[in-house]
Amino acid sequence: MNMAASKSGRGLLWTSFWLLVVFLYAPILVLGVFSFNDRDIVSFPWQGFTTRWYEGLFDNQQILDALRTSAWIALVASIITTVLAIPAAIALQRRRFRGKAVASGFMLAPLVVPLVVLGTAMLLLFNYIGIPFGPITLIIAHVIIALPFAILTLTPRLERIPVAIEEASRDLGAGALTTFRAITLPLLAPAVVSAFLIVYVISFDEIVLASFLAGTTTTFPLYVFSQLRLPRQLPQIPAVAVIVLAVSTMLVVSAEVLRARSDRLLGEGQLRVDEDDTATVVGAPLGAGGSM
Amino acid sequence: MAIAGTTGPRRSRDAATRRSASTWAIVGAPLVWVIVFFVIPVIMIAVYSVGGISGLSPNDIEHWTVTPWKDFITSSTYMGGINPLGSGLFWKSVKMSLTVSVTALILAYPVAYLLAMLAGRRKYVLLLVIIVPFLTSYLLRILAWRVILNPQGVVNTFLQDTLGVTNEPIQGLWNSNFAIYVVLSYVWVPFVALPIFVTLEGIDEHLLEASSDLGASRWRTFWTVTFPLSIPGVIAGFIFVFIPTIGEFVTPQLVGGPSGFMFGSAIQSAFTAGLDWQFGSAMAMFLVFTVAILLAIFGRWLNVRSVAA
Amino acid sequence: MNDGPAISLRGITKTFGDVVAVDDISLEIPEGEFLTLLGPSGCGKTTTMRMIAGFEDPTAGAIYLRGEDVVGVPPNKREVNMCFQHYALFPHMDVDENIAYGLKLKKVPRDERARRVQEMLELVGLAGYGARRPGQLSGGQQQRIALARALVNRPAALLLDEPLGALDVKLRLQMRLELKRIQHELGTTFVFVTHDQEEALSMSDRIAVMNHGVIEQLGAPRDVYEHPESPFVADFVGVLNALELRIDEVTGDDAIMRVSDTERVVVPVAGTGVTAGSTVLAAVRPERITVTSIGDGTTSLLKGRVEQVVYLGTLTQFHVQTSLGRRVIAHRLSDDGAARITQGDEVSLTWAREDGSILRVG
Repeated sequence: MNMAASKSGRGLLWTSFWLLVVFLYAPILVLGVFSFNDRDIVSFPWQGFTTRWYEGLFDNQQILDALRTSAWIALVASIITTVLAIPAAIALQRRRFRGKAVASGFMLAPLVVPLVVLGTAMLLLFNYIGIPFGPITLIIAHVIIALPFAILTLTPRLERIPVAIEEASRDLGAGALTTFRAITLPLLAPAVVSAFLIVYVISFDEIVLASFLAGTTTTFPLYVFSQLRLPRQLPQIPAVAVIVLAVSTMLVVSAEVLRARSDRLLGEGQLRVDEDDTATVVGAPLGAGGSM
Repeated sequence: MAIAGTTGPRRSRDAATRRSASTWAIVGAPLVWVIVFFVIPVIMIAVYSVGGISGLSPNDIEHWTVTPWKDFITSSTYMGGINPLGSGLFWKSVKMSLTVSVTALILAYPVAYLLAMLAGRRKYVLLLVIIVPFLTSYLLRILAWRVILNPQGVVNTFLQDTLGVTNEPIQGLWNSNFAIYVVLSYVWVPFVALPIFVTLEGIDEHLLEASSDLGASRWRTFWTVTFPLSIPGVIAGFIFVFIPTIGEFVTPQLVGGPSGFMFGSAIQSAFTAGLDWQFGSAMAMFLVFTVAILLAIFGRWLNVRSVAA
Repeated sequence: MNDGPAISLRGITKTFGDVVAVDDISLEIPEGEFLTLLGPSGCGKTTTMRMIAGFEDPTAGAIYLRGEDVVGVPPNKREVNMCFQHYALFPHMDVDENIAYGLKLKKVPRDERARRVQEMLELVGLAGYGARRPGQLSGGQQQRIALARALVNRPAALLLDEPLGALDVKLRLQMRLELKRIQHELGTTFVFVTHDQEEALSMSDRIAVMNHGVIEQLGAPRDVYEHPESPFVADFVGVLNALELRIDEVTGDDAIMRVSDTERVVVPVAGTGVTAGSTVLAAVRPERITVTSIGDGTTSLLKGRVEQVVYLGTLTQFHVQTSLGRRVIAHRLSDDGAARITQGDEVSLTWAREDGSILRVG
């Protein structure tokens, strides 16, 4: 007998789940439909199937420039964020130090602070110091808001790497840096890639800070934003939207699948109580030392 | 002339200092970045809003002053006389955020419950299905909603032409408060579901069996055991939505029409249109204080791990 | 009061897909009995218990609790209570609330509730702990609260799912005595699941030894230990020597295998149909074997060389390579004589004929 829900309860919950999935994905499908609609404006009725909006994208300089700008800003932001997030995660997960709570608070706070506050704050800073608004200010800002996500992606993975193997490496003669390079980093790698991809998508899509700090640079979200304020949309927008959504979905999904798969290699390291109610430690082929 | 016994403690103290030095070296770079580009700027807003810094915009007051704050607090537009039930823009934004957060929670809880308790091995895959939209383009999804909800959009066309239910397009679906709630809830539901999911997943299933064994029906078990144990996740989810959404302005602006002007919009326009930066800073700082107070109250439920699924 | 058995299982089978977890089990448990389901992981003992509790429904067969057919009745409506392996105490309630949980559901009035909770706490030796939270208690204390929580409802039977597994050795031994005491005091039927044969032997009125979903033997501890009815039972319960013998001669009730001029093994074979020329698998317990330096034997006699001596405190265990071509394990109390026998020594092994039994013919 299922403890969590009755048969009708289960039916109800599954229905609400699928309804939610429809709710979440319907707009995207709608965009998809309109991207193939042979009509000069984005609306009904359906006037036939066409791929000309997709083809037309390659001639639309504005869209291409915006995409390109966002793409490389996201790339730089991802690299910087990942490079900063690795030591941050290690320090927070493995080390104790005075002021750790404060440091942790500082690094993770951007998760809850309203973006309008962040935008304002950095606007003031850059004005005061005299940094011109553009890609550089955007990259700096994106790193700030993406860092918590990167740290939160790396930390669970780090928890699964038992401290014991790093100690073993030291015991066998490797210095701290070598241990990191030869042991920790390779084991961390899938989470690093995952974090990189998530940060990339966050940066690529970021609009609020961009509206404060972009100066004359047009990122893709800023372009879409300007388009949205027009009464009618160019039909190329749904087309590019579908492409961007598809690509970012693929990136996010691969990030997650990668992480899940490699987590299995590392062993789940958790207590599993199976059918016979005997408790066994699952996996952990690299040693169950660590976080048990 | 070292006495034999003294080399022991000295060596371990060196190891300890070496270790803490290396810790600071490790955490140093990201911490410095965050302090320079986040903490200091926020402090700057505070200082700027009372005239401690000036010269950044033409309307700046050149000396220490509380004028920007006074103007802000006493204005009827923004604070409405500190009356939460009044028409102040701040309270309007708070109300909006509250509505969105609660709606998202109500929609997210059953889904989180289903995945955590009933979905078996498929749960992570299905969770991914729910989360993925959250991590992809926000603006483009607003675009999609516009296409669906606006007077010439999918819903109206469907109701008019296909079903023949109405003769005229329903105006209130787009450029309205309704649109704001729909779109923002839509955006946040996946994110809210996460901490609830993590908390529910952590509940030992034997607790449910014990409850049943002792005589409780499933419904009873849910209310006396499952739900109370899931509250930390619910609060965490709530806070993660509620706080940032108070300052939300892009979505309301894009989908809310004339009623889409929020506190955050006011701050932004103070810096772009109004050029009254100190006033804007006072408002931004007020938001910071609000966030700080909320975090102080609810902070203990904010186990950030619950988001790191 | 009920005359019939507290619990009755008739032809219970449980399959999970292709896997047969429980295979046509029948069992009658009288009121007040302490019955243990003993077996290795995967033998079906936990599944059987969960079917009694109502968390699983049998694929076939009937379950009666005090004469009432309960198949299909959900767990919250059955008059049995379970003590879970990892206690499953509600972390967000204190001890009093945990124990009172079932009583509250039965709408027992507040005063009586408080009284019964107090009674239980005293019974398990934790009076005064009512306001604590489970997280503040040690493993042993949590175990006793879980027990109290189940027993306070005066169930028809208490089901215990390997409750002592998570405790350390000394505590475990202590708890065994505690559980027996409580059971005697209350007279409640206890159904105990474990893979620890020592636990089963020390606590039970009867043991059901299970393997691959069937009950291989049901009986009092002494019977199960001294007269195992199958190789599995013999091997699982206690240490066993299983000797393959080719019978040379059958005289009366005894089968004799002549191992050499001076060595022979004698086994009682009444009613087993063993004849000269049969091959049998015979069993003898290590503690029934007398280990002496080479000398004269009485009935069974084997010679061998000591390969390994294992000192176990009270006992010393000798692993002896014999002329049967296999190792025999013998136990001897750790007296001075035992201490004198070392690795490499030649010893003789003797035991009385009644101490051997036939496990299998052929």
